[in-house]
Amino acid sequence: MNKLLGIFILILFSTSCSSDLDFDQANDLKLEPVVIANLAFFDMKANQFIVGGVEQPLVGDIMDFKVFEDEDFADSTTRADFFFEFTNTVNRAFIINLYLLDDNNTRLYAIPFSVNAYTVGAPIMVSKTEIFENAKLDILKKTTKIAFAVALLPGPPLNSNSTGSLKLRSSATLYLVFQ
Amino acid sequence: MRKVYLIIVLIIALNCFSQNKQILYNFTSVPQSMLSNPGSDVSYNWFVGVPLVSGLSANVGSTGFSVYDLFADNGVDFNTKLRNVVFSTSRNDKVSMNQQLEIFSGGFKLGDWQENAYISFGMYQEADVLTYVPKDYAILALDGNQNYLGKVFDMGDLNARAEMLSVFHVGYHKRVNEKLILGARGKIYSSIFNISSTKNSGYFYTILGTDSVYDQVISANALVNTSGLTNYIENYSGNAGSDIVKKTLLGGNLGLGLDLGLTYYPKENLQITASLIDIGFISHTKEVESYSYKGYYNYVGLTPDFILGNSNDLLEEFNDAIPLDTLNTKYKTWRPLKFNSSIQYSFGDGRDSDCNCTGGNEIKYTNSVGAQLFVMSAPRSPLAAITGYYRRQLFDSLELKPRIQ
Repeated sequence: MNKLLGIFILILFSTSCSSDLDFDQANDLKLEPVVIANLAFFDMKANQFIVGGVEQPLVGDIMDFKVFEDEDFADSTTRADFFFEFTNTVNRAFIINLYLLDDNNTRLYAIPFSVNAYTVGAPIMVSKTEIFENAKLDILKKTTKIAFAVALLPGPPLNSNSTGSLKLRSSATLYLVFQ
Repeated sequence: MRKVYLIIVLIIALNCFSQNKQILYNFTSVPQSMLSNPGSDVSYNWFVGVPLVSGLSANVGSTGFSVYDLFADNGVDFNTKLRNVVFSTSRNDKVSMNQQLEIFSGGFKLGDWQENAYISFGMYQEADVLTYVPKDYAILALDGNQNYLGKVFDMGDLNARAEMLSVFHVGYHKRVNEKLILGARGKIYSSIFNISSTKNSGYFYTILGTDSVYDQVISANALVNTSGLTNYIENYSGNAGSDIVKKTLLGGNLGLGLDLGLTYYPKENLQITASLIDIGFISHTKEVESYSYKGYYNYVGLTPDFILGNSNDLLEEFNDAIPLDTLNTKYKTWRPLKFNSSIQYSFGDGRDSDCNCTGGNEIKYTNSVGAQLFVMSAPRSPLAAITGYYRRQLFDSLELKPRIQ
């Protein structure tokens, strides 16, 4: 009898616990990462506005921006914040425009900046955050190119010895949802 | 009464098997124990395993978290549970799965010409999965990098292997003298498929920059090897079922292995055993496809060039810096090496106290206590388990082995 009791106790010890499990919960999986990344950078020296001895009133560049060409990625993006910061140490004022373009070079959206001329003391800083959500986000998702246009406003002429620079630092924060 | 015993024992046995296959180690009443120690002290004249039934084992294990933590039906949002699991585990936590199915087995005692020597042979199918928790990848997927300025994400956190193979084996074991039994088993592996990515390194970080807003660097050195899968990834017109049968019957990627084992009795009631299982490798030469991802990229963003127009194309820049290459070069994998060892002390005279009519005078101990050690090689540090057990002979043909771990 003692043997039987012993065995019974053994069963108690060796029986595993069981509990309610629900594997369908995996379908509720929802990932919401927030990604930060550089967006753009340039540091244009004052004397670089002089080409062949002539001051350029307008310089620009068009660049591919194919981030949202991947449809899955585009669908997962729910918001995008673009941060821009200009630092001016050139003795001239600038009007800068960023244009969001589609494949046909159609302007979808413009982000304008007005930067005052630098004289003495602290550099001129202009910053802005563009938040793309809803309809505005849809415009961004159609964007395949970004054009940078930098216009020099009238002022004391620049030459090859002019000092200072116009600097852009820009970053993006992307809010993603995968489910 | 016997029936009651039998049912109880069956219940216990099922419980034990579902927890750990190592229960079989040195459980010499079962001939399959020779698979975990070719030098185990078995005694039989012959045996034949019942095909597909005699040896079926599966075990799934994890460290750092349990299935319950993730899938409990307790009303807590799954994503909350997932976060809790990810943030409470470390990169050294792992999930492992091992399954073995004996297809056939047999053994016999060699005749008088070679006393106390046995041959055993058989074939079994095995599946193995071992993956470490890819912690830093999981954090990136859950949270992104926004709140992790300055954190260096370790790309070596991806460390996983999975394999299905069949094993043909022949073993020989011999009682050298009263105190010592030695055994060895040769194996031929036929790998049905293999995926392994166990030597990755690299990092990704984002810190505040001086020129650009951030300094962002990816350095990658990742390699995923696969064999036996290419046919199924691309357009496949064959019959997967017959393919697998062919690969099981030595048509897969082949390898060789060796098991060694011994049992030693310093005293009559003290037993020491040890075995090394799966000293072997598989050479993957057929249906091999590997993916490598190597390079270094310092990401600055768009850098317009207003003078020369030499502006960058981000996608091109990234793909050039860290190209994804598909390779078809053969590779070799080592089988997970297992080391078992046990020490057992026996006591209690099991001889019938009333009479000794059969003439057998050998003491048969009814009780044993012991401890066994199991160590298995793994891509990072080896896995180890120590088990204590008490074992009792109920009748001549029934034995119990409850354990604590």
